[in-house]
Amino acid sequence: MSRTVQNYIDGEWVDSGASDLFPVHDPATCELLAKCPDSTAEDVDAAVRSARAAFEEWRSTPVLVRAQYMHHFKVMVEENFEKVSQIVVREHGKTMDEARGEVRRAIESIDFAMSVPVLMRSDGLEDISSGIDETTVRQPAGVFAAITPFNFPFMVPLWFLPTAITCGNTFILKPSPQTPLATEYLFEMLDELDLPEGVVNLVNGGAPSATALMEHPGVTGVSFVGSSAVAQIIYETCTRNGKRVQAQGGAKNYIAVMPDADIEASVKNILGAAYGCAGQRCLAAAVAVGVGDAYNQLKDELAKQVAELKVGYGLDETTQMGTVISDAAVKRIESMIGQSQGEGADVVVDGRDFNVDGYENGSWVGPTLIADVQPNTIMATEEVFGPVLSLMKADDFDEAVDIINQSRYGNAASIFTSNGKYAREFKYSVNAGNIGVNIGVAAPSASFPFGGQKDSFFGDLHGQGMDSIEFYTERKIVIERWV
Amino acid sequence: MASLNTFGAVFTFAIELEARLSAYYESIGETDRSRAADKRRKKLERVRRENVVEITLEPIAGLDAADYALELSDGSADAQAAAAGIAARFYREAAPKINVRAAQRALERCGKEHGS
Repeated sequence: MSRTVQNYIDGEWVDSGASDLFPVHDPATCELLAKCPDSTAEDVDAAVRSARAAFEEWRSTPVLVRAQYMHHFKVMVEENFEKVSQIVVREHGKTMDEARGEVRRAIESIDFAMSVPVLMRSDGLEDISSGIDETTVRQPAGVFAAITPFNFPFMVPLWFLPTAITCGNTFILKPSPQTPLATEYLFEMLDELDLPEGVVNLVNGGAPSATALMEHPGVTGVSFVGSSAVAQIIYETCTRNGKRVQAQGGAKNYIAVMPDADIEASVKNILGAAYGCAGQRCLAAAVAVGVGDAYNQLKDELAKQVAELKVGYGLDETTQMGTVISDAAVKRIESMIGQSQGEGADVVVDGRDFNVDGYENGSWVGPTLIADVQPNTIMATEEVFGPVLSLMKADDFDEAVDIINQSRYGNAASIFTSNGKYAREFKYSVNAGNIGVNIGVAAPSASFPFGGQKDSFFGDLHGQGMDSIEFYTERKIVIERWV
Repeated sequence: MASLNTFGAVFTFAIELEARLSAYYESIGETDRSRAADKRRKKLERVRRENVVEITLEPIAGLDAADYALELSDGSADAQAAAAGIAARFYREAAPKINVRAAQRALERCGKEHGS
């Protein structure tokens, strides 16, 4: 019998009051790893009350002491690096390298939080009038929550939690019910830190707990990462309830490949961008636009290298691509490939009906390459969130930029070129929040904000970097005169 | 493990190679060499952990574990030299395949230590 994951509220592991449970499977072996409760509004209320009660003492804890917790936390994650990576592989299906890369980036976010004592400092000006000084101070704002997705179960929560609490806020995390185990382990480590009760809280569940967080008057702000449709709902619900909100949505990321690019080297990097994490990331390369003569070269080289990718169980170090998250995802992705074919596209490498020996029950979609994709068709417009790379053709650079800018999404876009002029023009004119030049996954490191424009982001301040300091603090202006 | 086709596969192979060499040297009374191999193993674990770069994970081709099989049943000076030679060759051939300079440098350094 599998165990049921608990919530972590007020410094204790507690059972949810939920009667509904989500199964948590290893998507490669189909083994039932655990069950995740669909926590209730009462569970959320208990977490918010605890976080509220902890806030006043925590905000007055010296910032250097708060940062010191992050030093200890980082050491703990480093010591448990392989174990965390394996948990991520088992519940998500990605490869060990991808999981290690995820944990590494999570640690970068902890590193960033250690710099909060510097980043929270503000400015001031003497004598704004005779004998009057004016200064700004940053103060923590209250209780923050994050609603995080399945695709980076360890990293995305840490985009938010370390900075939020080091700024002096208290925090509630609601991870995806599909992947609650990495965050469970995350909270086991946080428990070891002996933070004051209520500073960090974990509520597992789906829509009911997310809604309760967004509507609870005790919550100051919400961070979200997920699909655009849900991001918009999150944004609207939070703003209606008077909360700060940063909601990162879905994507359709384009890559332009110029004729002057080193095609073989570019394709090697594009493979990681398109098929890494089996395409289940908001920065996944979805469409490669071959410009002029590059199109046919790109198609041939991709077909060759895609066919050589080794798909398998993530715990096998030689696996280069793992599973997608569930059978439902397999059906959705295969249906989209079929629709694309019906629209006249050429499925060059077909990942449908894919299987891996020894893991016949796994949620497999093989790496798929679709050529001759036309504008306004499903592969040009809809997010697949699976290992599918589409190819489109542009006659010249300007047409490639036009194709990219027609997308309703604006998370990321990349160009592969050896020409600085094209690179500069691309950076200047493409409407996307993260731009890559000869890099297929334009993922900002922790000290930069995670960009996102158009339907890929709802809000004002992005996650990570100085935006996160702004998001997690109030600025107070102090005007002083002593006579 | 056959093809060393990922960053992790290369480093995990190197870590296991050093663990086997450490045990081998220990078993034949070469304590200093055993300690040196164990030190390299620990360093490689750290390098694997700290230098895996999610945005530049790329397939690796042309390295096969079978080409670096160690024969460790014989403790003679010749057998020790042969094992060190194989390890040095592995590091020499693996380093250029790694696209993160710090990780590449660690492999080069291990290769030099085996070659000295």
